[in-house]
Amino acid sequence: MQAAPIVFIQAGLTYPNGVEALTDISLTIADQSAVAVVGPSGCGKTTLLRTIAGLERVSVGSLQVAAGAKRAMVFQSGLLFPWMSVADNISYGLMTRGTPAEQCRVIAREWADRMGLQRFIDAYPHQLSGGMQQRVGIARALAIQPDIVLFDEPFAALDAQTRLIMQELVCDLRRQGVCGTMLFVTHAIDEALIVADRIIVMSARPGRIIADLTPQLADVPSADKRALPAFNQAFADIWAQIRQEVDVQMHEGVN
Amino acid sequence: MPQNRWLSWLSPLLLVVLWEAAVQLGLLNRIFIPPPSEVVVALAKGLADGSMVADVLISSRRIALGFLIGAIPATLLGIWSGLNRTVYLLVRPLATMLYPVPKIALLPLVIVVLGIGEVSKIVTVAISVFLMVVIHTIGGVMQIDQRFFEVGRVYGANQRTLFRTVALPASLPAIIEGWKLAMGFALTLIVGVEFVGASNGIGYRIWQSYELYSIADMMASVCVIAALGWIITIGLDEVERLVVPWRHTVKESRMPLLKKWWGAVRPWSYTAAIIPVLLGASIAAQQGGLNWLWLALALIGSIAIQGGTNLMNDYYDYKKGTDTPAVKGTGGALLRGEMTPNQIFWAGIIAFAVGSTIGLYLVYMTGPFIFWLGLCSVAVGYFYTAGPFALAYVGLGELAVFIFMGPVMVLGSYYLQQPVVSWPAIWASLPVAFVVAAILHANNLRDIDTDILNHKRTLATMLGRAGARVEFYVLVGGAFVSVLVLIALGLAPWPTLLCYAVAPLAWRLMRTAATEDAAEKLHSVLRGSAVLHMRFGLLYVLGWVIALWV
Ligand SMILES: Nc1ncnc2c1ncn2[C@@H]1O[C@H](COP(=O)(O)OP(=O)(O)O)[C@@H](O)[C@H]1O
Ligand SMILES: [Mg+2]
Repeated sequence: MQAAPIVFIQAGLTYPNGVEALTDISLTIADQSAVAVVGPSGCGKTTLLRTIAGLERVSVGSLQVAAGAKRAMVFQSGLLFPWMSVADNISYGLMTRGTPAEQCRVIAREWADRMGLQRFIDAYPHQLSGGMQQRVGIARALAIQPDIVLFDEPFAALDAQTRLIMQELVCDLRRQGVCGTMLFVTHAIDEALIVADRIIVMSARPGRIIADLTPQLADVPSADKRALPAFNQAFADIWAQIRQEVDVQMHEGVN
Repeated sequence: MPQNRWLSWLSPLLLVVLWEAAVQLGLLNRIFIPPPSEVVVALAKGLADGSMVADVLISSRRIALGFLIGAIPATLLGIWSGLNRTVYLLVRPLATMLYPVPKIALLPLVIVVLGIGEVSKIVTVAISVFLMVVIHTIGGVMQIDQRFFEVGRVYGANQRTLFRTVALPASLPAIIEGWKLAMGFALTLIVGVEFVGASNGIGYRIWQSYELYSIADMMASVCVIAALGWIITIGLDEVERLVVPWRHTVKESRMPLLKKWWGAVRPWSYTAAIIPVLLGASIAAQQGGLNWLWLALALIGSIAIQGGTNLMNDYYDYKKGTDTPAVKGTGGALLRGEMTPNQIFWAGIIAFAVGSTIGLYLVYMTGPFIFWLGLCSVAVGYFYTAGPFALAYVGLGELAVFIFMGPVMVLGSYYLQQPVVSWPAIWASLPVAFVVAAILHANNLRDIDTDILNHKRTLATMLGRAGARVEFYVLVGGAFVSVLVLIALGLAPWPTLLCYAVAPLAWRLMRTAATEDAAEKLHSVLRGSAVLHMRFGLLYVLGWVIALWV
C-alpha cells in the first residue's frame, strides 16, 4: 500500500440539482491512519465519504484513491439486508467476490464471535437491537479485510450508553489493526476525539475544510482518553471552530 | 371475556338453527330457500357420486394452468420493467390501460379467437392473472430502497449479483402479494367463465342448478368454491412463509403448519369420540341391519365436535391462565406461541360448525331426539371449561365425561340405527364410560399440585392424593367389573370378555398410579389410560360384533 491511499486536490462536488455540497477540498490521508470528520449537519460529510466509496464523482479538482484499495462502508441507518441472516450479511462482501460458501460461513462465524453476535448468527436483522445491528454492519465492513473503512455517523441513532460501548469497540478493533485506513464521520466531537487521531472540521455547506487538528492525547486508541485534561481542551478548541458554522447553518435554515 | 365470546360463536350456529327451524316450520319457502340440512344432503350426494369432486378438479386445473401461464411471464417481465427504464416505458402504460377492463368482458373476444374449448377458458384466466401480477411486480421492484443497491455496489456486487441478492428478495413480498390477489381474481373469474361457455366445472354446476331450480345444489356448490378459495389462500400463505421467511419471526417460520395444527387438534384423542359411536352401532346391529352412511356421518360429526372441544379447551385454559409451561402434554400450542388465540378460537368454531351441520342433517333424517342429545353434548363440551360455571373447575369433569362420552353418545349412535331409547344400550355403555372417565382422572391426578396452586377444583384436588388414587382404581376396576356384571345379567354377550386381554395393562397403570407422585411418571399413566381406553373399547366393540355371528 502506498503512503497516501486517499488524496483530494482542490476537489468540489455539485449535485445535478445544483446543490453545491463540497468545495475546494484538499486533503491527504495517510495509510493506516484514523481520521474523523466533524461538521454541522448538511455540510457534505456523507457526500465526502460517498466520493471515496465510488458512489459519487467529484465535479471539479481530483480525488485519487489507491488503485485496487478494498473499500467498505458502515452506514448511519445500518442498511443491513433485511432478507439475509446475520451470517449472510456479514459475509456479503466476500460472497460478491466469489468466496466459496463454506469459507464465507467460517469467516462470518469468526466475526460474529468477535463482535459478541454468536447467538444471533441465524437471526434476521429485524430481530436485533440497534446496537447489535450496527455490530453486524461493522462486521460486514471488516470481514472483507478492507484497506479503507468509511464510517458514516454509525452510532447517531443509538442511545448514549450503547454509543459508549460501540466507541470502545471501535478502539478495540483499531488496536487489533483490522480497520486499515479509517475515515469516521460524526457530529459528536467527543466521539471524534476517542476513535480517531486526526480531526477534520468542515464548514457549513458548501463543505470546506476549516481546521485540521492532531491533538496529542494517547499513544494507543482507547476510550480512557476521555479522562485526560487535554481531552477537554481539544474538545473546547474544536467546538469553538464548529460553533460559528453551526450558527451559519441554523440561520440559513436546514435545506 | 368468555361471556362475550360465548355470544360471538353462538350467533352463526343460531343462524343455522333458526334457518333450519324456519324452513321446517314452513315460515320460509323450501323451494326458494332450502334448509341447511338439504344443502348438506346435496353436498353429500355430489361428493358420493363423484360429480362434485370431478367438477372441482376441472375448475382447479383451469385455475392452476391459467395462473401459471399468466404469473410466470408476468413476474419476469415485471421485474425487468422495474429495473430497466426502457422496458418500463413500453410495458407499464399498456398494463395500466388494460388493468381496469373487467376480464370477463374479454371472454367473448377470446372465444372468437381461440374457440370455445378449454384453451379459451385458461387464457382468459391467464390474462387477468398476468395483468395483476405485472402491475404488482413493477410496483414492488420500483419501491425498493435504492440505498440497498448502493450497499451492494460498495461491497463489490456486479449486476447479476445485485439482481440475485437485492432486487429479487427486496421485491418478493410485493410479488407474492400480487400472486395472492391474482389467485383471488382467477377464482372469481373461473366461475363466471364456466357460467357461459362450459359443460363442466364448479361454475357450470352452479349455473346448471340454477336452470334446474335446485337451490340446495347451488348452495352446496357455492360452499365448495368457498372452501376451495380458503384452501388456496392458506396454501399461498404457506408459500409466502417459505419464500419470505424474514417477514416472520424465525420461530413461526420453522414450524410447519400441519404439525402445528396436529398438536392443537390432537387427533390421537379421538378414540374417545369414535368408540362410543362404534359401540352404539354394534349394539343396534344385534336388532338388524346398519345404515352405513349415518354411521359414517356420526363418526365424522363426533370427531369434529371432539376436535372443537380440544381447541376450545386450549383457548379458555389459555385465557384463564391455568395452563402454564409446567403443565405439559395436552394442549400447549398456544403456550409455545405457535398459534394465536384467535386462530385456535376460530378453528374451534369451524369444527363445531362442521359437527353441528352433520348433526342437523341427522336430526333432519331421524327426528328431534338426536337434536336434543346433540345440543346437550355441545353445551357440555362448551361449558366444560368455558363460562362462569365451568364443569371442569368445580369437580364435575369426570361425571360430565362419564355421562356424555359413555351412555349419551352410545345411545345417540344406537338411536340413529334403531329409533328407540334403549335401556339395554345405556347399561351396555357403562364399561366404556368408566374408562373414558379414567383418562380424564389420570390427567387430574397428574396435575393435582398445579391445579391446587391455580385454585382449579377437580375431583382429584377435592379428594386429595390418596382419595384420588382410590378413584382411579374405582374407575379402571369398574370398567372390568361392569363387563362381568353385564354378561351375568345377560345385558352383554359373552365374547365381550375379550376386553380382559388388556387387564395386564390396566394392572400396570394402577400400580404406577398407586406408587408414583412425580408428574412425569403420572403423565405416563395418562398416556397409558388413553391407550387402555382405545384397546379396551375396540375389544369390547369387537365382542359385540362377534356376537352377531355366535
Ligand atoms: N443525491 C443528492 N442530490 C442532491 N442533493 C444532495 C444529494 N445528497 C445530498 N444532497 C445535499 O447535499 C448537501 C450535503 O449532504 P450530505 O453530504 O448528506 O451532508 P451531511 O452528511 O454532512 O449531513 C445537503 O444539503 C444535501 O441536501
Ligand atoms: Mg450525513
